[in-house]
Formats: sequence, C-alpha cells, structure tokens
Amino acid sequence: MRSRPVLFTLAILGYAIMIVPILFVILSSFTAGKTLSFPPQGFSLQWFEKALAYEPFIESLGSSLLLAIVTTIIALGLGIPVALAIARSSLRGKSTIQSFFVSPLIVPELVIGLALYQQLMITLRLDSFIALLLGHVIILLPYAVRVTGATLALSDLSIEDAARGLGATPFYTFRTVTLPLMRPGIISAALLSFITSFNNVPLSLLLQSREFRTFPVTMLDYVQQSYDPMIAAMSTLIMAGTVVIAIIAERTVGFAKIFGGINK
Amino acid sequence: MIRRPKLLLLPAALVLVAGFLIPSLMMLFSPPGTAVTEVFTRLGEMLTDPYDLTIIVRTLLFGLIVTAICILVGFPIAFLLARSQSRFAGIWLALAIFPLLLSTVVRTFGWLVILGSNGAIGQLIVALGLADRGPQLLYTPLAVILGMTQLFLPLAIISCYSAVAQVDSNLDDAARGLGASKTRTLWSIVIPMSLPGIVVAATLVFAGSTTAYTTPYLLGGTGQRVLATQLFTYASVTVNWAAASATALIMTVLVFLVSGLSNLLASRKGSIE
Repeated sequence: MRSRPVLFTLAILGYAIMIVPILFVILSSFTAGKTLSFPPQGFSLQWFEKALAYEPFIESLGSSLLLAIVTTIIALGLGIPVALAIARSSLRGKSTIQSFFVSPLIVPELVIGLALYQQLMITLRLDSFIALLLGHVIILLPYAVRVTGATLALSDLSIEDAARGLGATPFYTFRTVTLPLMRPGIISAALLSFITSFNNVPLSLLLQSREFRTFPVTMLDYVQQSYDPMIAAMSTLIMAGTVVIAIIAERTVGFAKIFGGINK
Repeated sequence: MIRRPKLLLLPAALVLVAGFLIPSLMMLFSPPGTAVTEVFTRLGEMLTDPYDLTIIVRTLLFGLIVTAICILVGFPIAFLLARSQSRFAGIWLALAIFPLLLSTVVRTFGWLVILGSNGAIGQLIVALGLADRGPQLLYTPLAVILGMTQLFLPLAIISCYSAVAQVDSNLDDAARGLGASKTRTLWSIVIPMSLPGIVVAATLVFAGSTTAYTTPYLLGGTGQRVLATQLFTYASVTVNWAAASATALIMTVLVFLVSGLSNLLASRKGSIE
C-alpha cells in the first residue's frame, strides 16, 4: 500500500473524515464534565444514566422500533410477491414493472414526505401514524423488491420444476424449495429495511405528531436546543446496538453483501 | 412458474399508486387551498429572484464539491481495498460501510463536537495560544461540506469498489509487465474500465447531497440555506404550499436530470465497448 503514496494519503484522509467524528462522539459521551468540551474532563457514566432516564428518548426509541418492525414486515409482505411475479412468471415488460416498484428510490425522501404530509395529513386529515406507516412502507418497498428479486434471479429454476415434476403441490414447492432459496434475500432486505426506517429523518420529521415522534427526530430536536453530552451518550448506545445488527448481518448473509451489495 | 402473476403485483401496486403516485402528483398540481397556477408562478419567481437563486446555486455547488471530494477520496480507498492482498482488507471495507448504518443525526453530531465553539479544533487553537477564542467553524460552507462528505463517502466507496473489483487484476499485471508505470496503469487501465461504476458513484453522491436535510440544517444553520432546508421551512414553518411544491419540483427535476444523464453516459459507454 505504501508503494502508492498519493492514493494512500487520500485514503487515510477519507477514513479520517468518516471515522474521526464518530470517535469524538464516543469519547465525549464518557465525560465527567457538564458540557461538550474537548478533551473530555474525567471519566464517568453520568450521561448514560441521564440519557436512559430521559423520557422522550426512551419513548421515541420505542416508537421507532415499533415503526421499523411493522413497516419492514409490511414492505416484505408486499415486495416478496412482486419479486416472485417478476422472477417466476411469463409476464411481459418485466423491467418496466421492476422500475415502477423501485421508483420511490429516485424521488427525494423530503419530496415524498411533503406529498404525504400535504395530501394525507392536511387535505385528508389522516392520522400521523398512518401517514408515517405508509411513507416508510413506500421507501422500503424498493429494497424488498430489488434485494429479494436479486436472490431469486440467481437461484436455479430447475430445482422448483424438479419438485413439481416429482409430484409436489405448488404450495409445498414454494414452502420447501422457493422460500429457502429466497432466505438470504429476505434476511438482507429485512435488515436493510429495518435500518432505513429506524434512521429515517426527512419523512419522520414532516409526518411527526405530538403523540408519535421517532427517535432520530427527537434527537434532532434535542441537538438543536442544547448540545450536551447526553446526546453523545445516546448516540454511543445506539452505535452499540448497530454493531449487534452488523454482527447478525455478518453471521447470516455477510455484512458487505447486505449493506454494500458487494458479492465477495 | 406462477400462473396469475398480476394478482401478486396488485397489493404493492395499489399501495404505491395510493401512497406515492397520487399524493406526489396532487402535491404538484393541487396543494391545499392553492391553485395550480400559483405553484408555477412561484416556480417562475424562484428561478429569477436573486435570493432563491442563491439557494439553488449554493445547493448545486455543495453537491458538486461533495461529489468531487467523494470520488477523489473514495476511488483510492476502493482501489486499494479491491487490490489489497492483506487479510485486514475485509475489516477496512466493513469499517467504510459501517457508518451507513448509523443515523445522519449521530454522524453529523460528531462534527458539532469537533467544530463547535467549545469543540476540539477551537480548544486546540486556544491551547496553542493562536487565539483567545476558538474560531466560528460551524454554520460555514466548510462545515456543511465536511459533514456531507462524511455522509456520502461510504456510498462512493461501495460503488467504486464493485467497479474496480470487476476489472481483472491480470490486466494491471499485463500493463506493468509491458513496462507501464503504476500511475500509467491506473490511468489507462483501471480508471477507464471502472468508469461506469465511478459515474454511478458520482450520481448517487450528487443526488444525495443536493437533497440532504439533516446535515445542512445542523451544520449550516440559517446562514447556509439549501433547497431541502428551505422546503421544510415552507412546509411547516411559513406554511407556503405553493413555494413548498415549487421547491419540491426543482429538487425532483434536478435528481431526475442527473440520473437521466448518468444512464445516458452508461449506455453510451456500453455501445462503444
């Protein structure tokens, strides 16, 4: 690596920009001081205690987890049939169909949020939770269709034909052959969807209500008002949770494969 | 083979039409209590008014600068990782992808700790006796550009990595064997052959950075308004539906144009090969 000094220097710079801010968040969460100053004054866990006792954080964390789990399940429930129809039927215009179901990806999330806020919450006076649910399902659907579709496209059709030929019913074939073939795709899509919904800011910000506010939006509000080490402590805790998800990803399908789409 | 595939498409299609297509079109053509002409009048004003134009130009400039930095820095990382023989390469790759799993709020918050008035850089400058007080680094273009570079660099690395990994490394060796320098090999073999991936990376970063909200909001404040923060202000602070819809239209057209251009480039490239 050192034989390419220019590339190596640029790479170090890139890693510094990606990683250093995250390290600073972790370091400052253990401060014994009252403010976010650097270097941290002493070591204590006081801000972790405060963060865990701060009602809005805990409440919104519950809301975000609920929203992420429910919308992931709905998006997979809607998206897997689409992926199956595209991969396992004689439909015409499959690439157009695929583009249609993936289309929410190319529209800025803030624009989708504005459309739902304006039309569902203001014009139709729908509940904020319904708008949030719908909005998150819309942005997760492309992942469900594309990621499960990719595993189906790679799997061998003749195994299913063999099962049918040996007398298995269509449902039995689906349950014992197709579904296991799709498993890595479903796990990947589920983890990606969960992370995407849980971290979403633009939709959740526009579609929030006093009763239902997600975790990133609560953090954003808090940072805007006062940035004390409590937010650093909460961020550190969330990072620890994310590491667990990354480990699950690595143990099941492969971390780089799921989140980077890298097949190596 | 599935006999009735259309039935499988139906539920998702209904949700997409009712929850995405219709609301998006209605947002453009009939915002609450606003005539469609108002949206387009406002759009015309935005494209001529100096204040609005500043915001559009700033958004584009941030997008271009962040895209340039992400490619300049992301490609070398992708290249070194894809060509590395080290057993730690996987860990470095994971380290580059991991930030994607973290919320933009968490990642952006790190820059507040570094650039804030009591932040690491300010304290360092005071400690070195260079100034009595730390300089104001937040709410500057630099802060927004750094924050967005951090946000989108992983995307650039992933796209470039996939592209470089597909270029057969035997070609590098062949070029080297024929006497080309390392730099020459990179510029005449690896970069041209991974160009489609680099174009995809640039498109993703540009589309992301011209529509990002959290980072310009937290690090740019009111001094560095961009289209996204402006849209949010129109929608929920001043409640000006015509302006909000016009801003949404500008953002959407911008992203569509860039993706269209990138697709065109990709297909051109394909036809030459």
